[in-house]
Amino acid sequence: MRTKVQAVNADFICKHCGAFVKAHRATSGVVNRNHCPYCLYSQHLDLCKAGDRLCACKALMAPVGLTHKISRDKFSHKRPGELMLVHQCQYCGELSINRVATDDDPLKLTAVFENMPPDIDQLHKACQEHGISLLNRNNRSIVMSSLFGLASVEIQDLLSIS
Amino acid sequence: MQTQNTNTLTSGVVINKSTGLYTISHGEDSVICRLSPKLWKDFDAMTFPEGKQRDGLAVNNKQIDPVVIGDRVTYTLADHGQGIIVDIAPRRNHLARRAAKPMPSAHAFEQVIAANLDQVIPIFAAAEPPPKWPMLDRYLVAAESCGIPSIIVITKFDLIKGHRAETELLAVIQRYQEIGYPIILTSAISGQGLEDLRQVMADKTSALVGKSGVGKSTLLNMLEPGLGIRVQAVNPTTGKGRHTTTNLEMFTLANGGAIIDTPGTREFGIWGLNPGEIADYFPEMRPLLGQCRFGLSCQHDQEPGCAIRKAVMDGQISPYRYKSYLRMKADL
Repeated sequence: MRTKVQAVNADFICKHCGAFVKAHRATSGVVNRNHCPYCLYSQHLDLCKAGDRLCACKALMAPVGLTHKISRDKFSHKRPGELMLVHQCQYCGELSINRVATDDDPLKLTAVFENMPPDIDQLHKACQEHGISLLNRNNRSIVMSSLFGLASVEIQDLLSIS
Repeated sequence: MQTQNTNTLTSGVVINKSTGLYTISHGEDSVICRLSPKLWKDFDAMTFPEGKQRDGLAVNNKQIDPVVIGDRVTYTLADHGQGIIVDIAPRRNHLARRAAKPMPSAHAFEQVIAANLDQVIPIFAAAEPPPKWPMLDRYLVAAESCGIPSIIVITKFDLIKGHRAETELLAVIQRYQEIGYPIILTSAISGQGLEDLRQVMADKTSALVGKSGVGKSTLLNMLEPGLGIRVQAVNPTTGKGRHTTTNLEMFTLANGGAIIDTPGTREFGIWGLNPGEIADYFPEMRPLLGQCRFGLSCQHDQEPGCAIRKAVMDGQISPYRYKSYLRMKADL
């Protein structure tokens, strides 16, 4: 059955950190603001595709890692594309990938990448089943260049700047 | 044909109405009647108990009318050949919706579609116009809340036969059949399902409801070829119906029973229900009520330990029906 995807652009209050989140695309840079820019948590609402709002789970989805889209250059060579956030439902364990928004906290994104969950092997396995390739420490330069434009930036430097 | 004498009280059923005039069927005869001034007065007192005056335009706008199709009334013949309705019998049940509002801020009021029904037949086209399943859920909930059984009819099945849309439609149909709703697939071109429909409508008063252009009147013409109800094709540009039927009318069927043809509706708002009781009218949710952690206070939305949400996640309840439930609750 085809489902009309609703335009999900309503402001919301984050169920994890309680912050009020503006969902306007002018501030977030994305059409569907699907996670909190401050704590990066999301809510398990979609079942088949983004915005269908068919899932009854409605539990919190924690940010567990980063991945990136595969894009191609003009010679059809694969290259890392847009950075994506991997969320995992804290109740049913479902995984989903979401676009990183313009106003997402870059330090929190870096922390997600640096502090992988302890059961990383299990997570990797689950991600592979969903066709998601998690970025690991070998891909640090991709993450840093996507977030800060510098491949060799250190987290200590960022903290000192902020 | 008017065979009754004046001043004798006769009872009949309202089969048609236009502004202020009602056609009453009594056996083989039919009489055009008006409502007695006393009934209007009683109705005013009932509707506006604080002594406010009823807006004189209300009846002209078909907003408030004490008599609807299917009502059993008592009338007496007046000198000029018309009758006067002097009493309206209490209704066994009635199907109502929240009347369409000209603007969002306008006052909402109840619009009774028909009364004393044995079954409601929501009609949806397999294509042209495409079916809107949330609207079907609204029809079903409205009928359930009045205690009227529903039979779902899908028309224009020939349009999707052999296409991918057929598989999608059959999957949705299976969902409703699992809940317990009978579904009849019909086609006015091939004649499919018409005999089944004839059988379920025999000796019963049924109301055909659905969007404009789904083929309610066409189906009725096929079932009773002598009726000659006006029909039109859907608009080829928009794919929507043309609102050909503009008034409600009850027709008697040859194999017993009666059927009420209704104009197509763009929207069907639920009327007279509280958000807390909507789940009662979803038959698949009914057995789970009270089993949530918060018991009957559960809103079945974000609450932890909700039995209905768990049933949706376990696949016992369709997520589409659950979404319809939440949208209906939010609209009230």
